Amino acid sequence: MTQSSLLMAALGTPVLALLACLWRPVRERMLGLLVLAPLPALAAAVIALAGVGEGGRWMLDPGLLQIGLVLDRPGALLLGVAALLWGAAGAYAWTYLRGKPNGRRFAVFWLLTLTGSLGVFVAADLLSFYLTFALVSLAAWGLVAHDGTVRARRAGVVYLLLAVLGEVFLLLAFVLLAVASPGDSLAIGAVVAALPGSPWCGPTLGLLIAGFGLKAGLVPLHVWLPIAHPAAPMPASAVLSGVIVKAGIIGLIRFLPWDAGLVDWGQALTAIGLCTAFYAVAIGITQANPKTVLAYSTASQMGLVATVFGLGLAVGDGAAVTAGTFYAAHHLLAKGALFLAVGVVAATDARRLWPVLAPAGLLALGFGGLPLTGGFLAKLAVKPVLGVGLVGWLGTLSAIGSTLLMVHFLHRVAANPAPEAVASAAPGLVWPWWVMCLAALVLPWVLAPLGRLGPWSDTLGWAALWGGLWPVLIGAVLALGLRRWGERLPKVPEGDLVVLFSNAGRVAAALGDALERADGWLRRWPVAGVLLLVLALVLWGAMLAGTR
Amino acid sequence: MDSLATLASATWGGPLLVLALMLPVAALMLAFVLGGRHAERVVLATLPIGLGVAVAIAAAIIHQGAALHYDLGGWAPPLGVSLHADGLSATLLLTTAVVLCAVGLYARADFRVPPGVSEARAPLAFWTLLLAVWAGLNAVFLGQDLFNLYVALELLTFAAVPLVCLSGSPQTIAAALRYLLFALMGSVLYLLGGALFYGAYGTLDIPMLSARLASGDPIAPAALAAAALMTAGLLAKTALFPLHLWLPPAHAGAPAAGSAVLSALVVKASFFLILRLWFDVMPASLTHLAAQVLAALGAAAILFGGVLALRQARLKMLIAYSTLAQIGYLFLVFPLVANPAAAPILDLGQTPGAWTGGVLQLVSHAFAKAAMFMAAGLIAGALGHDQLRGLGGIGRVLPMTVFAFALAGLSLMGLPPSGGFASKWLLLSASIETGQWWWTLVMLAGGLLTGAYLFRVLAPALSTRGPPLTLVKPVERSRELVVLGLALCSVVLGLVPFSSFGLVQIGRLGATGIGLP
Repeated sequence: MTQSSLLMAALGTPVLALLACLWRPVRERMLGLLVLAPLPALAAAVIALAGVGEGGRWMLDPGLLQIGLVLDRPGALLLGVAALLWGAAGAYAWTYLRGKPNGRRFAVFWLLTLTGSLGVFVAADLLSFYLTFALVSLAAWGLVAHDGTVRARRAGVVYLLLAVLGEVFLLLAFVLLAVASPGDSLAIGAVVAALPGSPWCGPTLGLLIAGFGLKAGLVPLHVWLPIAHPAAPMPASAVLSGVIVKAGIIGLIRFLPWDAGLVDWGQALTAIGLCTAFYAVAIGITQANPKTVLAYSTASQMGLVATVFGLGLAVGDGAAVTAGTFYAAHHLLAKGALFLAVGVVAATDARRLWPVLAPAGLLALGFGGLPLTGGFLAKLAVKPVLGVGLVGWLGTLSAIGSTLLMVHFLHRVAANPAPEAVASAAPGLVWPWWVMCLAALVLPWVLAPLGRLGPWSDTLGWAALWGGLWPVLIGAVLALGLRRWGERLPKVPEGDLVVLFSNAGRVAAALGDALERADGWLRRWPVAGVLLLVLALVLWGAMLAGTR
Repeated sequence: MDSLATLASATWGGPLLVLALMLPVAALMLAFVLGGRHAERVVLATLPIGLGVAVAIAAAIIHQGAALHYDLGGWAPPLGVSLHADGLSATLLLTTAVVLCAVGLYARADFRVPPGVSEARAPLAFWTLLLAVWAGLNAVFLGQDLFNLYVALELLTFAAVPLVCLSGSPQTIAAALRYLLFALMGSVLYLLGGALFYGAYGTLDIPMLSARLASGDPIAPAALAAAALMTAGLLAKTALFPLHLWLPPAHAGAPAAGSAVLSALVVKASFFLILRLWFDVMPASLTHLAAQVLAALGAAAILFGGVLALRQARLKMLIAYSTLAQIGYLFLVFPLVANPAAAPILDLGQTPGAWTGGVLQLVSHAFAKAAMFMAAGLIAGALGHDQLRGLGGIGRVLPMTVFAFALAGLSLMGLPPSGGFASKWLLLSASIETGQWWWTLVMLAGGLLTGAYLFRVLAPALSTRGPPLTLVKPVERSRELVVLGLALCSVVLGLVPFSSFGLVQIGRLGATGIGLP
């Protein structure tokens, strides 16, 4: 099979599965088949990463608009790890949701989100990217609101509102990109190349960063993460935090002009990223729900990726993309695994937690850069980009913060075992967790050459190991302090900034009332009749004014 | 101008226009004469033929790359009556035929002559009125003379008004009277404008009038007054905000099929005439300021209609207010076809994208809105009510209907891949290209509002909490398929590459160029 047909199959399989859902017997069984849907994408990514051939490419109309799919290095890396998590979470979902109501609806939304999620990594043009991005954004609503409780429905509304807002930002940005591009081509590379010379360069970049930043969880548009994650079923949280936020990351990778050296925008993105990295830790340590803590951790980690991208954007350095992608890929695997672990712990009794907690702790501390974990490699990959100045120092500080937050997470998750005296998680929950756990620990070492990590002697030198270890140690000490005095921290509601809008509903209702009254008034005969004549006069005046 | 005459001799397919005009009229006569159960059969037999004729007209225009023209009886204007179909007319003829075919199939279950009687009032009225609406629409799309167009428009109005009050209840009759009176006020203004045109230039034939307007400078203020009066009258019939007093009550009690026809097609006919007036009759004298006024009304309609749709308690009223908002998008075409900074007057050649986008909006809205009204009709029929509060879990009992509704909503919101997305993409691009960013913001805000009011329908529909719904009446699968087909039409429009929408441009640039230096 050629690579381009494999690329087609990567997207075609979930689409076909969706179509098959129209047929009732298939729909009944679809939940059990979710694990298979991302496998062609995994195969396509592995082949592309192994360097066989020149990467897949499939064009609908190669000449004119250049609409189609393409698989390049960063896309393949993220596609591969994303497909792996989708598969593991799909298997997990089967056990997690079997026997519960509405599994069929869940499977349909799962497949829709999956299609969009895999699509954003391979979309080659503006329209395909917008389509797949909209699909992953909007269809994930069905996963967030799946439980149907008041809380889940509220989370769904907040999620959808912000997702649609992001869509609006991006639609406008894409139109600006397309209009500013001289040719007919809608290929992302072509329109982004024209961006630095565009008369609307500033607004376009602002909209792109807002739209993708919202999806990636950058402050202040991160509020959907800590609301949506705890409300969603466990496997859905795993893909939300693992894969769906990466739609924002791949967006930044694809749409920022890396060669242009936009200093101001680079610094702005760096600042946003650093704010996110620290703000999310600060709020995260006040949270009690382990899933909420993980959601804030995701925001914090994506903040660091945005920092890396900002630094690269400022100096026109494409190496930042490689490093950021590698960092994001590790986050995808480890965060997905941790969410699955939360579900496994919740089904295990208190005395048998250690076989789950120990590897989970390894992964969690990996976010702080614990040596020999995948997170250690991720930190090493971004280190040259962060440099040794202020930003480099802040990067180390954020590693300390991440450790603190993750120890807090371990503490919270260990506090929520199964209530029964004797309980153990079903094998269908345990093995997907083990797959993801091993992948998060091992795959970064396999993929390290893609992160442009130096020779192993440097990577594993004492200096590097100690450099990775001491922030974790400081973070652990701080965590002890948090455990001792954490009670005194203020209680911040999930979604922090969202409370500022708590009376937005009332304002909107008042506005709606006013407009409804206006409608009643406008639809009275005398008013409408007079308006008709006034309109004729106004139009006449407007024509006369223009003719003279 | 003899160019049209030479054009006419050079093209084939002219007689097709006569067929498109006469087919519904003949069917109308036949339905009247046969009456009873035959009315329905006549309609259902004629509609596919009409669809075929519309396809043939579009094919002929695409094949020749030029507009079709036919002088009835070989008499050229000003003595005779001529028919003219450019790309836009053909597109609308086709849209009309498709929507009416779907409506006809859908309405069979609602307007069946009950067994045991040979004839019933509502079915006979519905089927004949449907033919009359069709005849009126085709006459509007093919007419070439402002007075003939007036007659066509009146035929359309008089056929559409009774569709509103088929149930015969006092409320619907009051609503129909409201519609009739306001539409007649619009007609009076249109007629007044026509009289002023005739007084100033001695003709109402569009090409001749346009040529005289372009040659005699300066344009008489009377001509401008005529255009203003006609436009205002047509706005009243289009129900553009704030002239929408008849629209909500008309939809409140109309049968689903009637609402679909009204919202998808009838209001578009008067909009079509505004396009004719502005871009064919007097392209040289319509100013940017006037275009901005029209677009400002459209923008107000988008925002106002969107908010009001959010606040409706009934599904059908939500869709009706959504129509109010979607009509607004059509009026954004006027300022977007030209850059105010670059061109002194409106010139279609500048941004063909805006024109295509506007027409695409018209067509995709027609399909999507007809599908929505018919889906709402199925839901109302099955549940016995259409209160939004009581729609929880409807997705479980009527999955296909809800799916069709959601597909139509996709297009309305402008999400890809759909005709609505393609149209909004083109209109947004045009607004950026011409430097009119304020219309960009309105369109985006309108999209948000559309998403919000559709969410109000779809979220409870997909919910599974609460007791399962009980249906008072089963829903026929065939009717669901009709609705789904129409919704798919509006989505498929977005899968067609932009470049193949050349049809709507045919006859445009040439027509505006007539008489211009």
